Amino acid sequence: MAEAVHTQLSCGVELAVLELPLRRAVASEIRVLTGVVNEPADKLGLAHLVEQTVDKGTQDHTGRELQDEFDKIGSGVHSWCGKQSSGFTSLCLPEYFARNMELHAEFLRTPTFPQESCDVAIELARQELLSLEDDAQGLADKHIGKQAMGPLLGRHTFGESETLTTITSDDFVSFWQSNYSAGKMQVSVAGPMSPSQVQDIIEARFAGFGDKTPANRDEIPVEFKPVTTHHNKETEQEHIVIALRGVAKSHDDYSTARLLMGVLSGGMSARLFTEVREKLGLVYWVGGWQEHPRGDGLLYFGASTTPERCSKTYETMLKELARVGVDLTQEEVERARTGIEVRFDIRGDVTRALCGELADDLMHFGRPISREDKLDQLRKVTIDDVKRFSESHVHNAPRSVVTLGPKSLES
Amino acid sequence: MPDKFIISKLSNGLNIAIEHMEGVKSVGAGFLVQTGARDETPDLAGVSHFLEHMCFKGTPNRSAAEINIDFDRIGGNPNAFTSHDRTFYHGLARTEDFPTQLEILADMMNSSLPPDEFDMEKNVVLEEIAMSNDRIEHVAFDLIVESVFKGNSLAWPVLGYDRTVKALTRDQMNHYFRSRYTPANMVLVVAGAVDPDEVIAQAEKCCGHWVAGEPRPERTKPVMGTGTIQKTIERFNQQVVAITFEGPGASDPMHDTAEAAASILGGGNSRFYWNIEQTGLAPYAGAYRLDFGDCGLLILMAQCDPQNTDRVVEALRKEAKSFAAGPVSDEEIQRVKNKRRTSLAVEGESPHHRLVQVMDDIDYRGRPRTVEDRIAAVNAVGQDSLRAYFDAFPVDGEGLLVSVGPLKSSAA
Repeated sequence: MAEAVHTQLSCGVELAVLELPLRRAVASEIRVLTGVVNEPADKLGLAHLVEQTVDKGTQDHTGRELQDEFDKIGSGVHSWCGKQSSGFTSLCLPEYFARNMELHAEFLRTPTFPQESCDVAIELARQELLSLEDDAQGLADKHIGKQAMGPLLGRHTFGESETLTTITSDDFVSFWQSNYSAGKMQVSVAGPMSPSQVQDIIEARFAGFGDKTPANRDEIPVEFKPVTTHHNKETEQEHIVIALRGVAKSHDDYSTARLLMGVLSGGMSARLFTEVREKLGLVYWVGGWQEHPRGDGLLYFGASTTPERCSKTYETMLKELARVGVDLTQEEVERARTGIEVRFDIRGDVTRALCGELADDLMHFGRPISREDKLDQLRKVTIDDVKRFSESHVHNAPRSVVTLGPKSLES
Repeated sequence: MPDKFIISKLSNGLNIAIEHMEGVKSVGAGFLVQTGARDETPDLAGVSHFLEHMCFKGTPNRSAAEINIDFDRIGGNPNAFTSHDRTFYHGLARTEDFPTQLEILADMMNSSLPPDEFDMEKNVVLEEIAMSNDRIEHVAFDLIVESVFKGNSLAWPVLGYDRTVKALTRDQMNHYFRSRYTPANMVLVVAGAVDPDEVIAQAEKCCGHWVAGEPRPERTKPVMGTGTIQKTIERFNQQVVAITFEGPGASDPMHDTAEAAASILGGGNSRFYWNIEQTGLAPYAGAYRLDFGDCGLLILMAQCDPQNTDRVVEALRKEAKSFAAGPVSDEEIQRVKNKRRTSLAVEGESPHHRLVQVMDDIDYRGRPRTVEDRIAAVNAVGQDSLRAYFDAFPVDGEGLLVSVGPLKSSAA
């Protein structure tokens, strides 16, 4: 596979292109480097509202007309809002890539934020908060996010009901003006397009789009609170989430952390699945995952179970987190390594997955990292590295815990 | 270059479908077992799904732990799902590990249903049921099938009920297992950069000794229920409403027209999106199809603030009626085709997607379709086929209205 070509365009956009001549479609991801951390404290939810509304009308098209234009070229477009970036992804056939980018540039550069669309977005956000109340796992994730990352990085995309009511259409415009510009954009493209073709298209479409000075690439420190809280909820299952400090994707220990997570929750023979579900039958779901704000990282472990099994589940999880650094075997490390490598290969068969990797590299490293380099890092990790990391970041580390359901751990 | 598809059959009756793909590193392989919840009796509700769990728990050759370890040694990504009419065990691995992947999957199809694992796994399934009961959309879906298919074996949830799962014995499961997991009811599906001759040779080695069995009993086509069903669950904050109409089954020639109709009505950039979601009535309103080989449903569904329920139901009905009355513009139809064309092109690159698509085609159509075949079927949708669809499967009638959430009085 060819290496990605990384360019800082004169318009201010940072671009990475991975040419894949044999693929049928082009995947692209425009990341505007703004998210919930850029919201005013009394306007939480605004970044998501702007991301949802930026394509609801431009100087040339209504929102509906714009969507029709995307559909005419069969472009599958999606958007999302995160902590430090908002993403606009698309998939299209290569012959329509230029038009696809023209349409993206149109709504990113000239949104009109019609009053009616802003009002609807606020109302829908209010209802999304209501729907979050029916999503016990999502709610537990919201609580642990606040606890483990602090008041800024721990903000939830949907905002809070009391802040949504203070947001006006002027706020939409002002947030867009302050946060959407070429200097705050990273664009990643993968598919049967040459880097020079893509560069020309992006350069032409985003020249003169606001300030072109690179910005919003700072690291924001995680404010970790090592406490345990319980949130009462009438549910059949109790949800447990344990958070620990991890490392950034750009940290030397990142591959070690990945391997440790693989040993604990990567495959069907991973420790948590084996000990909590297979041997004791305590849960249907137990797992681990990582989250990476730029320059930092967190390790999470979660499970859901009926209240009478909650304490036993929690104790078993803690026992496994403590034990892994002590009796880890070389065979387990190799299985975890193989699992990561194979998933890596499988993702390589999927164009949009490769585009997503590229976008992540720009976000966390400021440049594309070759797949071979990533694999090399992974292959260098030894069992002693994993044990050391486990001791420092898991076994002896402060933890933040959230339970949500009808019963607290103490009761 | 080998043919795109190779269809073969072992002497014991096991069908094999292989799609040869160029330029990919991974290979998907799976066993389709043509049995699911609709092939159960009421007292065994949930046995197909519970059995799917048990197939990971041990064979005469491997313990549960050994199955898991052997898969993880090749990074095999094993998984399985059970639906109303099928069970599919599959994995995705590197091409060079395909023989090992197939050997483990084949071994699982000869599960010993270890008695010491049975009660433990029953707890896991009961936890899965509890998890599902906490999701309002799952509760709503179960109520839809229970109501619309009342009196038919499609009516109970795939997971079964607490009481049926608790009461299930290993002997009952074993009887079901032995009668349904036979070559006559199974298909091996493979998609990737594989040599078809080697796949068939490996299949012969792993599955050639399986004893040919009888096909499963015939299925009964349901009579679709209509009316209004409401379930009050005070602990939820939203209301889920759904209106269902009969539609063509997955093997019906109208299938792709029905898919396009659902997309125009309730997909992305659809009538529901602009006339319901983007008016602020509901954050989610969509139309999708639930299809089986012999029957299908169009489900119009929304999640909303309970206070909006009446207006949302009214809006769903209004859009359905207006859609059926026409006209549907050529542009509207073309837009749906364009989007589907792109997604099919992308899906065509991935062994995992192709594995599932080939499995689906084999099960419902008896033959696999290429990406180009699928695109041609989408391209054939037009004004005439939509008219014929609405004539055969009207969406402007009463249908079945299901409402789940905290509301105490009927929303209808």
